[in-house]
Amino acid sequence: MKKEQEFSPEKGYERLAKKGISRREFLKMCSLTCLAFGLDLSLVAKIADAAAGNLVKKPLVWLQGQGCTGCSESLLSAVDPGPEEILLDLLSVRFHPTLMAAAGEQAKDSLTQCIKEGNYILVLEGSIPTADPRFCMVEDRPFVDQFKEAAAKAELVVAVGSCACYGGIPRAGITGAKGARDVLGEGIKLVNLPSCPLKPERLAQTLIYYLGKNELPRLDEEGRPVVYYHHTLHDSCHRRLHYERGEFLQDWNDPQTKNWCLYYKGCKGMETFTDCSSYWWNEGANFCGAVGSPCAGCSQPKFYEQYSPLYANPREVK
Amino acid sequence: MAQRIVIDPVTRIEGHLRVEVEVENKMVVNAWTKGTMFRGIEQIIQGRDPRDAVFITERVCGVCMAAHGWTSATAIENASGADIPPVARLIRNLLAASLWLHDHVLHFYHLSALDYLDILAIKNYQGKDEKLLTVKEKILKLVEAGDTAPFTPRYNPDDYSVADPEVVTTVVSHYLDALKIQAKAKKMSAILGGKQPHQSSIVVGGVTGYPSVEQLQQFKHLLAQVAHFIKTIYVPDVVNLATGPLLPLAQSGFGEGPGNYLSYGGFTLDAQGEDKLFKAGFVRNNQMKRIESLDESKITEAVTSSWYKDSPPAHPWAGSTEVDLDKEKAYTFIKAPRYDGLPTEVGPLARMIISEHEPFFRLMEEYGIKPGAVARHLARAQEAVLICDAMFQWLRELEETLAQEKAAGQVNIHNTQAWEPPLAGKGAGLQEAPRGALGHWVEIADKKVKNYQMVVPTTWNISPRDDKGIRGPMEQALIGIPVNPNNPVNLVRVIRSFNPCLACAVHVVSPQGEKVYHILG
Repeated sequence: MKKEQEFSPEKGYERLAKKGISRREFLKMCSLTCLAFGLDLSLVAKIADAAAGNLVKKPLVWLQGQGCTGCSESLLSAVDPGPEEILLDLLSVRFHPTLMAAAGEQAKDSLTQCIKEGNYILVLEGSIPTADPRFCMVEDRPFVDQFKEAAAKAELVVAVGSCACYGGIPRAGITGAKGARDVLGEGIKLVNLPSCPLKPERLAQTLIYYLGKNELPRLDEEGRPVVYYHHTLHDSCHRRLHYERGEFLQDWNDPQTKNWCLYYKGCKGMETFTDCSSYWWNEGANFCGAVGSPCAGCSQPKFYEQYSPLYANPREVK
Repeated sequence: MAQRIVIDPVTRIEGHLRVEVEVENKMVVNAWTKGTMFRGIEQIIQGRDPRDAVFITERVCGVCMAAHGWTSATAIENASGADIPPVARLIRNLLAASLWLHDHVLHFYHLSALDYLDILAIKNYQGKDEKLLTVKEKILKLVEAGDTAPFTPRYNPDDYSVADPEVVTTVVSHYLDALKIQAKAKKMSAILGGKQPHQSSIVVGGVTGYPSVEQLQQFKHLLAQVAHFIKTIYVPDVVNLATGPLLPLAQSGFGEGPGNYLSYGGFTLDAQGEDKLFKAGFVRNNQMKRIESLDESKITEAVTSSWYKDSPPAHPWAGSTEVDLDKEKAYTFIKAPRYDGLPTEVGPLARMIISEHEPFFRLMEEYGIKPGAVARHLARAQEAVLICDAMFQWLRELEETLAQEKAAGQVNIHNTQAWEPPLAGKGAGLQEAPRGALGHWVEIADKKVKNYQMVVPTTWNISPRDDKGIRGPMEQALIGIPVNPNNPVNLVRVIRSFNPCLACAVHVVSPQGEKVYHILG
C-alpha cells in the first residue's frame, strides 16, 4: 500500500508536531481508537507509529453529491480538540467544498492535481443521481463522472452518511439517487458509515485504524465497521425493559410513562444496527431515544423509504 | 467584447452553485446564478403521512438545521388548526435560536473571512500578545510544513484585502476560537433537540421531551460562553472591519441587491403568535421608512429560467411543474420567487431594515454605510446579539413555566389532538431562518400530503431571471462590481455575503395529486 522509501514514522511525528499535535496527543487518539475497536492497548504504540508514518503524504479529498452538508457539519461538532477536529489538521485536506479557501478554477485544479497524484483517501457525502447525470453537475460535468474518476485513483473510499452509503432520503425521489457501492461496483476498497448525519467519531477512528494497521476494520455485509453497527438499538436501549413489560408511551405529556418504549410512536430500533444509545451525540449530550424521539432507522440500507411512515403506530398500520 | 468568467464550484457556501458573469472594462455587466443539484424533496413528501414531512424537510439542509423541521411542523399544525403548548414553543425557539448563533459565527469566520484577509500577513505580526503569537507560530508551522490546506490555494489578496498583521492575526485567532464556539452552539441545541445536526425532538404537535434541571444548567453555561464570544469578539470583529479597512467597500454599496426586502417575522414571543422578535413586512425600492405589511398572496414563483416545464408564475399553492432538463434557455434548478412581481432580498439585512432596528440604522448613518455585502455581515452580527438576549429571556420563561407545571403535576409539551393527521387541511408555516424568510405550504387530503411546497431564503436571493427577464437579487448585486478576471475575489465576496444555501434553494412544484414525473430527453 505505501511507497516503502517514503514510510517514516519519525517524519510523521515531526510533521504532526509542526501542525501543533504532540506525540502524546496523537498517542491518546490512537488509544481511543484501540478502545473503540476493542484492540488491546499494547498495540497502541505500533498503531501510532504506522499511522504517523502513513500520514506523511496522505491527502484527503472530500466530494459532495446530493447532500445537505450535514455530515461535514457533524465533523465540526467537537468542542474540545477531539479526533474530529484534528482530522482536518492530520490529513492534508486538498479539496472540501465547504471549508477550502479556493473556488472555481483553483479548486478544480487542486482536485485535478490530487487525483493525478493518486493514493488519497476519498470521502463521499451525499448521494449520486443515476436517472440523469444532469441532476448534479459540477464544472459543467456530471458529478457521477467526477466521483468515478476520483474513486478509481483513490486508495480508499469512505461513504459518510446514509445518502452516500445507500441513497438515503433522495433515493425515494425521482433522480435515481444511489450510494457509492451501487455506483462503483466491486473491486474498490470501500467503507460505509451510514447514519443521518454521519457520527463524527466513526470517521476519525476508522481512518486512524486504517492508517495504523494498514488494513480495514472488519466490515459487515453492508460494508459497515462491525464495531459501530454490532448491536441493534433495541438490544442496547434504556427503554428496553418497558418493551418487555408491554409498556408503550402513548402521550408525551404523561409523567408516568415518559421513559416507556417508543414502539407505538414508530421506533425502528428493533432492526436498526447502531451504537447511538451507548455513545450519545454531540460529545455525550443526547440522542434521539433520550429526548423521547423514536428511532428512524437511519443506519440501515432500508432508510428512508422502506421505513416510511416513520411515526405511525405499527399496531395500526395495515 | 465581454469576457466570461465562471466560478464553479463556488466553495464556502452550502451546496452546488455555479456563477457566470460577463465582464467589460473590468466591471461585471451581466450575471447568471445557477443551482446545479436537484433531489426532488417535495415530491418525496407527496402522498405520505404528513408527520414524515418534518423529518424529511429537516434534512433539506445540514447547515440551517432545525429551521426546516420547525417550519414544517408549524405548517402542518396550521393545517390542523392546532396550537402547541407554551413549553413546546419555548423549547423550539431556544433549539432553533442556538443554531442561529452557530450559523452566523460559522458564516463570518469560516465561510467569509478568508475573502477579506491576507492570511500570510501573519508572518509580519510584531506584537507581544501571547495568544496571537501562538497563532502566528501555528500558521507559520503550516507554511513551513509546506501544507497550508485549507487556507490555500486561494485567490490573491487585492487592494480590498486586509493586510495589517495585527488585524489578520487577531481575526485568524478568532477563526480558531470560533470553531469551538459554533460547536458549543450546536451542543446547546442538541441538549434540547436530541442531536445536531438534524434534531429529532420537534414533531407535529410540539416536542418529544423537556430538559431536566441539570440539562438546563448545562444549556445556560454554554449559552453564557457563546453569548460572551458573540458580544465581545464576533460583533467587534465585524464592526471593526466594516468601519475600518472595509469602510470604502461598505460606503460604496458594493454588492447591493434590488432594494426590495422581505421578512415573514421570526420567533414568536407570545402564545397568540402575534408578537415576534423580528417583524414581518416588505420594503419596496429602498423606501426604508415605509414598511408594508406582509401579504402572502403576493408571493409567486416563475419557472421561465428553471429546468421545469413552463407554466405562468404561480403562488406556492397553485401551479404544477414537472422536471424538464432539456428546456431551452433554462439555466438553473432554482425557481424565481417574486413579491408583487419584484425580485426581493431576504436575510439579516432585510430583517434589520424591516424591524427598523435603531442601533443598526444609527451605525449605518454614522459611517455612511450603504446596503450591500458589508452591510449584510453587519446585520448578521447585529441580530446575533438580539438572539442572545432573547434566549436568556426565553430560558427564564421556560424555567418558570416548567416549575409551575411540574408543581401542578404535568408538563405539557405535546398537543396530542394534533398527532394523528387530519383528514384534510391546508396550512402555511412562515418563519425566519438564519438566511432569511422561509415558507412551507402543505395541503392534506385523506390524511396524506397532497401537495407540499417550500420557498426558502436562498431561492429568493439566488433566484434566476423571471418571466419578464428581471434578474434575481444576487444576479443584480453582481452587476457593476469591479473585477479582475485573473483574480475574481470580488465576485465571491458578494456571493458569500448572502450566505447561500443551495440544498435548500432547489425545489419543484408538483402537479396536483399526481406523482408522475416525466424526464424528457
